[in-house]
Amino acid sequence: MTERSNAQWLEDLRGDAAVRDPALTDLRARLQRGIFFYLSRERSDLAGLANEEITQMAEDFAQDATLRVLDNLDSFRGDSQFTTWAMKVGVRIAITELRRSHYKDYSLDTLTANGDLQLPATSLVNAAAPDRPEAATEKSDVLQKIDAAFEDALTDRQRQALQLLMLDGVSLDEVAEKMNTNRNALYKLVHDARRKLRQHLEAQGLSPEYIMRLFEAR
Amino acid sequence: MDSNDLIELVKRIYSTHEADIDCDTCDEQLDCLAELVAIGYDAALLLPAVQRHLDCCGSCRETFRALLCIVKAQQAGELT
Repeated sequence: MTERSNAQWLEDLRGDAAVRDPALTDLRARLQRGIFFYLSRERSDLAGLANEEITQMAEDFAQDATLRVLDNLDSFRGDSQFTTWAMKVGVRIAITELRRSHYKDYSLDTLTANGDLQLPATSLVNAAAPDRPEAATEKSDVLQKIDAAFEDALTDRQRQALQLLMLDGVSLDEVAEKMNTNRNALYKLVHDARRKLRQHLEAQGLSPEYIMRLFEAR
Repeated sequence: MDSNDLIELVKRIYSTHEADIDCDTCDEQLDCLAELVAIGYDAALLLPAVQRHLDCCGSCRETFRALLCIVKAQQAGELT
């Protein structure tokens, strides 16, 4: 496999077929090796798959990534090795496709328990019961304030996004797709929601140290 | 949801900063960051805003961890 500088990668991939095709072959092979390594070593959820299946997945993701890289050469800024930048594209494709496959049969309603939000207070009030009565009351009071903060400070859309991302553990890409938005807009929506919650809770006199001390104490 | 989940939620809420960056801005820096972290640099010192984003954003964090493990394997000669 030919070693290339960043400039040589760009020049070859933008060149005519005589130089572009070998560069594409090299790039695809590098991406495939890296993605295969990730899938086989780091993805415990794929542990039950045969080696051939993982190899095929890596080939498919590497092929998609190679095309994506080719379409986006102008966005390479040169801050890293070209191959590291390309590998980032490949990794993102692999992760996104695996998530999509994982959640393909779910709807938003399913993910949010048929639309009913599972907010902290409603699900944790009972957890306070085994404590001493005064501690249980204090926890219950704080949980009610957190619950009220979700209700009072956030829009329905912010509540839904927070529920899915932070409580249900659904991925950002998947939630963005389900909510008909994009990653950046969704991140901003959630960022604003977190900021509003923080301001609301601070206005109630609830510091993070106090809340953590209260709920970590057993 | 148990107490650990609640504490994690509270940490995320209170870790919000006005200067937080979005996913695209974070993504632009992940390849460079992975190369530097792979040779021992501290992401929180190099790019604190990116590290804060990674602390809050599971999606970008997963991408970074995956890329980092590949870059480390490359540097260790495991992918040649």
